Amino acid sequence: MAQAGKGRLNYRCPSCFLRDIDMDMFYDKEKNEYYCLRCQYTGSEADVLEKNQIARMRYRAMMKRFTTFD
Amino acid sequence: MDRFIVNIIHRPEMVPEYAEKVTGQGKKEDLGRKALLTESLDIFRTQQELAHKNGLKTTIQMTYASLFNEEAVELAKEHHQKYGDEIGLSLLGLPCEQFREKYKTKDFCIWMFSLEDKKAIVQDVFGKFYEAFGFYPESTGSYYMDAELINYIKEEYPSVKCAVATCWEEGPKAYHTCNNSWYTFMDGGPWAPWIPSKVNTHAPAACEEEDSGIVAIPHLSRDLLACYDGNGSNFGTHPQNVLRGMIYDSVTWEFPYLYNLIDQYRWQARFNNGIAYNMVFVGPGWMNKMGRWEAPYELLYKSYADCMEYYGGLKKEGKLSDMTMSEFASYYREHKHYTEPECALWRDILYGSDKQLFWYCDPFMRACVNMDQGGAIVDLRPYAAKLPWRVGIGTEHIQDASYPFLIQEKYRAGYFTHYAGEGTVRSAKICHGGEEVDLCLCRTKAHFSREGDDRVLTLDPVEIEFSDLTVKIQSVIAFREGSSDIRITRNVLSMSDPEAEVTIREYMVGCYGTTEYTEDMSSLTLFMEPQENDVDPERGTQRLPVLIPYEYRCREAELAGAAETGCLVPPIKTRVSMTCEGRDKTGFIREGYAFSPMFIIGYCGTLKEKEGFTTWLKLEKAD
Repeated sequence: MAQAGKGRLNYRCPSCFLRDIDMDMFYDKEKNEYYCLRCQYTGSEADVLEKNQIARMRYRAMMKRFTTFD
Repeated sequence: MDRFIVNIIHRPEMVPEYAEKVTGQGKKEDLGRKALLTESLDIFRTQQELAHKNGLKTTIQMTYASLFNEEAVELAKEHHQKYGDEIGLSLLGLPCEQFREKYKTKDFCIWMFSLEDKKAIVQDVFGKFYEAFGFYPESTGSYYMDAELINYIKEEYPSVKCAVATCWEEGPKAYHTCNNSWYTFMDGGPWAPWIPSKVNTHAPAACEEEDSGIVAIPHLSRDLLACYDGNGSNFGTHPQNVLRGMIYDSVTWEFPYLYNLIDQYRWQARFNNGIAYNMVFVGPGWMNKMGRWEAPYELLYKSYADCMEYYGGLKKEGKLSDMTMSEFASYYREHKHYTEPECALWRDILYGSDKQLFWYCDPFMRACVNMDQGGAIVDLRPYAAKLPWRVGIGTEHIQDASYPFLIQEKYRAGYFTHYAGEGTVRSAKICHGGEEVDLCLCRTKAHFSREGDDRVLTLDPVEIEFSDLTVKIQSVIAFREGSSDIRITRNVLSMSDPEAEVTIREYMVGCYGTTEYTEDMSSLTLFMEPQENDVDPERGTQRLPVLIPYEYRCREAELAGAAETGCLVPPIKTRVSMTCEGRDKTGFIREGYAFSPMFIIGYCGTLKEKEGFTTWLKLEKAD
């Protein structure tokens, strides 16, 4: 197989992101998947985007606009 | 009237951080790539346009690399003329062909160089700046500026009066987030502007003699709750932080969190004599056409445009003053005095909890009170020690610029530990009939007030339920300006049995360090001072102090009526002690052991309804 590259965008590993690690993923064009050098995550672009939504689950007030800070 | 001030700082970084690693992936390193230089300057120009379009002036911090670029120099001159932007000089952005050629190194963080190299680089960079502009800058900065570096710059270039000098809580957490490859260890500093002391940048000056001569500002204004636990680069007043943290709607690209963060900083004016502050400091690297993190260029652009529009809108409404760095330094010196503390009563604005923290910083300490743990102190830095802490190659701390802690609940457990031992925290236990409840488990809220020289936190009362007794207790925590101590009073407001009595055990579990890993405790000494006229029955004379030299032997001692309990921590030149006023007070000290390398100091006593129990935790420089 040829060497991996960075892919269309600079996607990070969603599994590592959940444990507060920013790991840029590499793209395997033969398998059409991103993979993490650190953990065992692999996935398509669609899967990465879906898992990124899971990473946002901890931000329950992400879209709330606060008007007071008491 | 409250005043909210923003410093917006842009730097024409010709070889931006990340550029070679991220956008240049797959290419051989070439710092002189024309495409890279052109794009970097274009991004800088775009950032400037977005600020000016919204009526905001900036501080342009020229980088070493940009001083070799005529276009960048001319642009800075033009914007200074046209918009009143200040032209300053950053010590970030050193990497370029000329720097590599001259210094034969790939190091780029000014505080990590040897002192000799720091001086040579400063002379070089400031000299080059003078050549380009015909004057010396009034502002400078880096991610961190160590005291020796600041002292040297101030001595050689007295025009400098403001500097970006630390990144708040950027330490082991940032290192871990970056796959253990980002060596910015600078925990334990102020989150808001301060005057650094000559001995240690993180410790504010207490008087003119200690004054380094500059006003320091933090790199970005960071979320005082999210950054304490999480990656500092996800939660600050840099739009890229918000994108890096994925704190935006992936469909609409909206990110109200950034505005909540800015607004919560505005809110802090009420605790700080009407002054609130924000800092935005961005380089071009994050805004390149290739996108950054998961965000395409269009989102990167939108985030910065929206951010500038928000600040610009506040300005139009008369709610914001935009200043350059040197303007701010003058304003700060006119409106603040040395011992004036910085306070922040901060709530969660991201995770949907009701957590609330209080941060306090003055020349003698930085402390964090956690209302979700009953008002426990969960972070404590003894600035009173004004610890000399040289950093850089050739010193004891090449990369580690953090100010050491005595308490740090994230690195050293806090209340909750696994299986055995203790974690660092300052709290109290209430005991009755063989049952014991720690106030760390009593979630509450705090209200801030100013009473003379005291900044006071009054916590909502909490109820402690024993099997046969309910106790309503209130904590009041006071920081007296200039006193170097924290007074904590526990008042029993009511009991289900008005005749009952409970035992209170006020304690501090401490250690020292700058990281998660334990340090050698062998040089510490626990002590208790007896009260005056406490006669030792065996000797018939005044009782001697009780001492436990730390040997990991799990020893402990108690002394009825002790005048003081404490611990000497020589590695960080700190003496931490506790005194007490309360019924039946008995001091205690406890040595740790290998699996629990902590020390414990405190007092126990008894409380009835309507009674109070007060302790003072004091920090001093150890001789």
